Amino acid sequence: MGNKISLTIDGKKIEASSGQTILEIAKENGIHIPTLCYYPNTKPAGACRVCVVEIGTAGKLEASCCTPVSPGMVVQTNTEKVMNARRMVAELLWSSGNHNCLQCEKNGDCELQDLIYELGIEKPRFEIDLPGYEIEDTNSMIQRDLNKCILCGRCIRVCNEIQVHEVLDFSMRGSHTKVSPAFDADYIDSECVFCGACVDACPVGALTFKQARFKGRPWEMKKVRTTCPYCGVGCQMDLNVSDGKVVKVTTNMDYGKPNHGMLCSKGRFGMNFIDNSDRLKTPLIRMDGELKAASWEEAYGYIAEKFASIKEKDGPDSIAGLSSARCTNEENYLFQKFMRAVIGTNNIDHCARL
Amino acid sequence: MNEETEERVSELANLYPSRKSALMPALEIAQRKNNNFLSNEDIKEVAKIVGVPNSRAFGVTTYYTMYNTKPVGKYHLQVDTNIPGFLSGAYEIVEHLKKKLGIEVGGTTGDGLFTLSSVEDLGSCGTCPVVQVNDTYYENLTIEKVDELVESLKSGKMPEPDTFSNFGTECNILLKNRGISDATDITVYKKGGGYEALKKTFKMQPSEIVDMVKGSMIRGRGGAGFPAGVKWGFLPKDNSRPVYLICNADEGEPGTFKDRQIMQYDPHLMIEGIAISAYAIGAEKAFIYIRGEFRWIADILENAIRQAKKDGQLNHVDIVVHRGAGSYVCGEETALIESIEGKRGNPRVKPPFPANVGLYGSPTIVNNVETLSCVPFIVEKGVQEFKKIGTEGNFGPKLYGVSGHVNKPGVYEYPLGTSLKVILETAGGVKGNLKAVIVGGLSVPILKADEIGDLKMDYDSCAKAGTMLGSGGIMVINDTMSIPELALRTINFYAHECCGQCVPGREGSKTIKVLLGKLTSGEGTIENIDTILDTCDTIKGLTLCPTGDAFAMPIEAMVAKFRGEFEDLVKRG
Repeated sequence: MGNKISLTIDGKKIEASSGQTILEIAKENGIHIPTLCYYPNTKPAGACRVCVVEIGTAGKLEASCCTPVSPGMVVQTNTEKVMNARRMVAELLWSSGNHNCLQCEKNGDCELQDLIYELGIEKPRFEIDLPGYEIEDTNSMIQRDLNKCILCGRCIRVCNEIQVHEVLDFSMRGSHTKVSPAFDADYIDSECVFCGACVDACPVGALTFKQARFKGRPWEMKKVRTTCPYCGVGCQMDLNVSDGKVVKVTTNMDYGKPNHGMLCSKGRFGMNFIDNSDRLKTPLIRMDGELKAASWEEAYGYIAEKFASIKEKDGPDSIAGLSSARCTNEENYLFQKFMRAVIGTNNIDHCARL
Repeated sequence: MNEETEERVSELANLYPSRKSALMPALEIAQRKNNNFLSNEDIKEVAKIVGVPNSRAFGVTTYYTMYNTKPVGKYHLQVDTNIPGFLSGAYEIVEHLKKKLGIEVGGTTGDGLFTLSSVEDLGSCGTCPVVQVNDTYYENLTIEKVDELVESLKSGKMPEPDTFSNFGTECNILLKNRGISDATDITVYKKGGGYEALKKTFKMQPSEIVDMVKGSMIRGRGGAGFPAGVKWGFLPKDNSRPVYLICNADEGEPGTFKDRQIMQYDPHLMIEGIAISAYAIGAEKAFIYIRGEFRWIADILENAIRQAKKDGQLNHVDIVVHRGAGSYVCGEETALIESIEGKRGNPRVKPPFPANVGLYGSPTIVNNVETLSCVPFIVEKGVQEFKKIGTEGNFGPKLYGVSGHVNKPGVYEYPLGTSLKVILETAGGVKGNLKAVIVGGLSVPILKADEIGDLKMDYDSCAKAGTMLGSGGIMVINDTMSIPELALRTINFYAHECCGQCVPGREGSKTIKVLLGKLTSGEGTIENIDTILDTCDTIKGLTLCPTGDAFAMPIEAMVAKFRGEFEDLVKRG
């Protein structure tokens, strides 16, 4: 960021750094400008035209997400011209897809719904024209309904610019434009690795986490911040809990390091074990060829006894330890200490490969 | 694909600073190798060779209309049905071909011989109707000629095309060699004083040339009319990045077929203009972005560049011809830049402007063919001579393309500010009773016959008359034409060509298309008419690129000025 410059937004004198966009400085100063295609940490697209503001006295409209501030600039965020433009954009989007909130998983957490409510539009002036895409339901993680897609491109930018999987792009053109993996394949038949970042980025109900569908409305969901248990990176994420059950994992860019709102497919979708009926809840000891439930005291006693007798009979190097990448560094440290100091062997390894 | 193809692609890639720019040329090679068809396997292979993700290669392939992702017949008959074609019987030819071949538009005959397509403006407005068969343009067609063409193709023979077209020049600058045979040859060009201006250039400082272009006040001939010298002046000082010059030869504005007169008949004039301009702005690499349909013209240009190189004219600049692949929007300078970079032709958000951050992130100047072709005259004869032509603030010669309902459609060179009436008389006069004229390519507001008066064809006079000079593509409409039908065909074009990035462009063009469709089929309401006007008004100045204005302005004018015709459609029901 460069020099300090001053400008006026809605009559208020504001100081900004050169290089900042109008949207950024407005946000910093608590001035609300609605957006749709804007997505933090990606290149501004200026595509939805919802964030347009009026600049100067000539009445020129510019997208605030990609217009840099300049000294002495006079910006107005809610003139009649601006509101007319926003209303038309909102109505064009409304009429171009299946934006029926009654049957939408994103009801209550949808940026298009918020925009239309904010603008107070009761119905679009244009006739609704459904694109008629088939809903993609061919994988167990992400449901794609392009009839709800507003082509903001956020999923594409997150896939290409942040995750750099380069699976998604726009294909076709004009009103036939669609977001697609190569050759318009379903996700499951594409190079997609199911990191789920596109779903987090989607402002509407076009991309939804399949396992969370009908498992709780946004306002019924409690978000619990936690650290992903799958490896030692320590990715921050939100468990979305409804009715005492984890139904999906979302992220929050504001959590910052280490993952800045991104996850891999394990952290994102690997949660079925939590309530799985096969999940071990007590230790099991194999006796007479059969696994039998035991208490922790019994289990530890059994282990200690066996280790002691093996060590005595065949020496400490007859024992080896393998720890897990899912443990923390501290736990792994303790484990190697235990193997070296208590068992007395250097046979210690770690599955740093997930 | 084989090693030879890979080698060829690598050779092409070497022409560009980035290998990714070879994506479009590589797709073209792959398509030619596979009977004019790109399979998914072909696209995958190309993506691998060029080094781009499959998703990007697929996105690019499906953006441009010249890539066929479905197999086509041995002869792909592409009828230009855009406005000039529409005005001169192209739809009759489509209907005739449908019956004759027994297929619908988009269909292929059972024997795999013919595919029939209706395509957008081919840049043959003065020689309509035109059918492009594979790479070859068949112009000046009639039903009888179409029959002969099809019979010949059935016997496996591509007939020699009729290349006749009308032209005339009062200035003898841009079309001075138009009537001379073999002017494409450098020796002929030089005999007429060609490359003398370049010789003079080398004796001057680059800044002196820039000053001359600034002094001439030449305004960009592509359509916007922005002074070219001022544009050059936007290049950053103390810049360490390479500077690029791009010649915009993507002539695709319906009604416009002027640049091809220079490129096809006097290519060295343009090349000399590029060579001088590149020297002036310090560009060591220049690109000519030519629309893909002008394949044979691109060959003419490449040949002329080879000759000029051999003749030692281009030691200071390397000129690369980059072929488009079917996209109107690529005529917009940032979309054009994206296209050279091997991407979808989506216009960029501005700022930054190309003069600062353009091709490959470097300072870039994009000028139209006609603009650059004026530069040799300015340098050779001087600013004062140039400013003797035209009117105050609108200096120099201008190519006017006249099409539609006139007796001698063609390209005529006159000083800027020449009366429209004079130009129309030269074009053989109006056929029938004049109803309206579109004076600057399809993107400008239509003028009713009674609004024309003594309109002078220059930037300022046209603006005063409530329209724009644009590209100087004049489309003449007589009273046999229904304006609602014209409006529908107009919006169909823009909806087809819209890149799809921004909401008002994408959904706005589609929505107006639906509303005009309802009106013309007798299912519209008065409210629909007002909705169109209101939507057009809001779209102006709102879209990411100028395409929004390019359809909102003409549609608004057609509906507002001929509202009675639209209301009649509602009343008739």
